[in-house]
Amino acid sequence: MPAADADRGDRRSGLGLQQRRALNHAAIFLTIVGLWELGSRMGWLDPLFYPRPSNILRSFWLIYIENGNIWPEIYSTASLVLSGFVAGSVLGVSLGALVGLNGMVRRFVKPYVIVLEATPRIAVAPLLIAALGFGASSKIAIIMLVCFFPPFINTLSGVVNVDEQRLELFRSLGASKLQLMRKLVLPDALPVIMAGERLAMTSALSGALVAEFIQRDQGLGALIMTYTRNLNMASSFACIFTLTILGFLIFRFMEWLDRRIAFWNSEEGLQRVGARRRKRMEGLA
Amino acid sequence: MSDRRSSSYALAYWALRALPHLLLLLALLPVWELAVSTGFITSILVPPPSEIIASIWELYVLDGTIYPHFLITLTETVAGFAIGAAVAITLAVCSALSETFKRYVSPYAIVLNVTPGIALTPVVIAWFGYGMGSKVALAAIISFFPIFVNALTGLLQVDRDSEEMFRSLGASDRQAFLKLRVPASLPLVFAGLKIGLTTALIGAVVAEFAQATAGVGVLMNRFSFQLDMGSSIATLLSMTLIGLLLFYAMEFLDDRVVFWRREGRRSVVSRARARRWAAKFGGHESPETEAASSK
Amino acid sequence: MNMPTQNSGQADTADQAADAGAKDAVVAARGLSKTFADGTVVALEGASFDIAPGSFVSLVGPSGCGKSTLLRLIAGLIDKSSGHLKVHGKPVDAPRTDVGMMFQRATLLEWRTAIENVLLPTEIKRSLTKEDRRNAAELLRMVGLHDFRFSFPTQLSGGMQQRVALARLLQTGADVLLLDEPFGALDEFTRERLNVELMRIVAEVGATTLFVTHNIAEAIFLADQVFVMTPRPGRIASIVEVPFERPRSPSLQTSPEFNEVVAEVRDILGEDH
Ligand SMILES: Nc1ncnc2c1ncn2[C@@H]1O[C@H](COP(=O)(O)OP(=O)(O)OP(=O)(O)O)[C@@H](O)[C@H]1O
Ligand SMILES: [Mg+2]
Repeated sequence: MPAADADRGDRRSGLGLQQRRALNHAAIFLTIVGLWELGSRMGWLDPLFYPRPSNILRSFWLIYIENGNIWPEIYSTASLVLSGFVAGSVLGVSLGALVGLNGMVRRFVKPYVIVLEATPRIAVAPLLIAALGFGASSKIAIIMLVCFFPPFINTLSGVVNVDEQRLELFRSLGASKLQLMRKLVLPDALPVIMAGERLAMTSALSGALVAEFIQRDQGLGALIMTYTRNLNMASSFACIFTLTILGFLIFRFMEWLDRRIAFWNSEEGLQRVGARRRKRMEGLA
Repeated sequence: MSDRRSSSYALAYWALRALPHLLLLLALLPVWELAVSTGFITSILVPPPSEIIASIWELYVLDGTIYPHFLITLTETVAGFAIGAAVAITLAVCSALSETFKRYVSPYAIVLNVTPGIALTPVVIAWFGYGMGSKVALAAIISFFPIFVNALTGLLQVDRDSEEMFRSLGASDRQAFLKLRVPASLPLVFAGLKIGLTTALIGAVVAEFAQATAGVGVLMNRFSFQLDMGSSIATLLSMTLIGLLLFYAMEFLDDRVVFWRREGRRSVVSRARARRWAAKFGGHESPETEAASSK
Repeated sequence: MNMPTQNSGQADTADQAADAGAKDAVVAARGLSKTFADGTVVALEGASFDIAPGSFVSLVGPSGCGKSTLLRLIAGLIDKSSGHLKVHGKPVDAPRTDVGMMFQRATLLEWRTAIENVLLPTEIKRSLTKEDRRNAAELLRMVGLHDFRFSFPTQLSGGMQQRVALARLLQTGADVLLLDEPFGALDEFTRERLNVELMRIVAEVGATTLFVTHNIAEAIFLADQVFVMTPRPGRIASIVEVPFERPRSPSLQTSPEFNEVVAEVRDILGEDH
């Protein structure tokens, strides 16, 4: 009975559960932002170090529109990330598959993999910069390096952990090594490989930032560094939130890619591909 | 006595396993050395092994320069990890217990996740100074998310049948949480902790790259800019050591806590419980003679 | 041993029967129905029956006919949509500790040894006593796993795990036992052996038992009564009396009388079974 009453009450005020929750979210967010702003204006938070939300908003306006100086930096970082990611992860997947195929090679590579896995790959950044010099090539090398590992390791483990029974099935069917790879091992390992690619993409952005922090010439990392050193914290935060948006876009993109490629892991994917295949089969019949 | 013998067997076994690897390495080293000395590989890109070994000897044995830096980075990593893990697990437990809490906290966790934590490096240094504080803070920030998300996933995924079994026994929510959900989540929690440990090390080192007075990251920066590649790689090795050390410490804990997932540990724990049971409640028969650990 | 004919008669005069049921019935249902939330799936419709103390009832029927639903209703794990349901004369409105349940999967806690798993039900009610521990050890002996008390579930075979689950069920002290295809995942031999063991143990503790299975012969062999269920909507099509004396030996299953009962059940289920 009370539930029904509450229901009616909601309808009267025109608010469903969804809207009420959205309102709560907004209220919480505004309270945090408001307290921050207030704290800064009242002098509890040093505005030099903890920029006011209003100042951050102004910085957004400045760096995006009035000066527009963030665009080339975004372009620089994004293009580095993309090229490094593609090169590194393609290399990772192919080497992973190669190493995974041969038990002998696998055994000899394993200790190095363990050691390299324990090493923070980003830490090689200064070394690569010293070896390759300042500029884009050392940055891309760093991104390639951090992007290489997750797909490499995941491909390796995905290829190795194929279900024994299915392997036997393929063998009993007289499948060739190539068929085995294409029709069983790779599809089976795909979800794991994609998980590796996602990790790689996240590390790619971090790798680019570290390279830019050290080189301090171009890109969002360098920009954040410069702004922070000049104690222009509001602009630094505007850059960081830009990275949040960039990170979010990358995240959604990888999710989308994952759903496309490893479609059999989601209900929606199954239906989509199922319908397409049915159409194709009917066309053939 | 028999213990000592079996452990020496184990040692021999491992030596035998490691032998081919060592041989391969020993065979490769001269090739590498030769390739560099004949100029086939430029020595600035890849220093010859002799140089690396000389640097290791100098840094680790002759003057031991590396050790204070090693300790500082290790401390920063562990402290940052501990803070990040404590906050992450607390929030994960709260989120698992309260749907409302989860609903209103998760957006912020997601924002934190998609922002590359590394981007905060300069800001964190501005906030916490050039000393260890900023390194600990960055390590904590970037190790937070993997731990949080693993712990929460673990706590939320419960086997439906087990859940129903608990309800049919009339278990309270608290009992179901403590006796079912928490233990069932532990494997994932530990998986998260292991990832968090690696990320914490990255956080500490990157913060050291950016601005610091001590730590292996500083050393690494310095040697690289002097183009002393041998010492750079020797320093890199110390980071690998920190990584391995922490990883195996966590692995050890994982082994003890999540013993039921470990082939070898199960029978050990099973025997120990049988003994404890007999000592506490008395057995009609000695558990040692029984097939408690059979199969 | 049980009084089926009068009870089925009473079910027709639904209204007074609803608050009464048979005087000594352990489980009494009148017009019991369950529709799942989306409103389209009628999992169970108009089930009426009485189950006498100490009797063994088998539920057979094709997949999706509402067997598990009926069990979960009696256990108080889900709420009924309409009708009446009483266990020990009291309406069921929450999970009850005088009703114990066992599932197709053993649902043992991997981090507990066999005996610690058996002790779980007691632990949930109160703190353990020496008596509880002795009882649990005794139950494990009863299911033939005394030597494996301190083994972890992953060290046991599937059949052994189910026997631990059975011991845990008995440890609850419940006198109404609900078993949902408890041995369904096991091989034929193990299942048959466990069935015989189950029959013996249940008779020993004098519990009232509801046993779900897909196997008609198994259902008849074990039970005093077989509830034959049909799907869409799920309902109890008929209650078949099993006339054979106890104790029964496996050779009973080859006798012509036994096959007659099998044929009768098969008939009710229709062509598709
Ligand atoms: N939680 C639920 N939500 C919606 N529908 C359900 C739910 N549980 C069961 N059903 C539906 O109720 C019907 C009966 O299900 P039930 O599990 O009782 O069948 P069953 O006889 O135990 O089948 P099986 O022999 O396969 O175990 C099915 O059509 C099923 O789809
Ligand atoms: Mg069922």
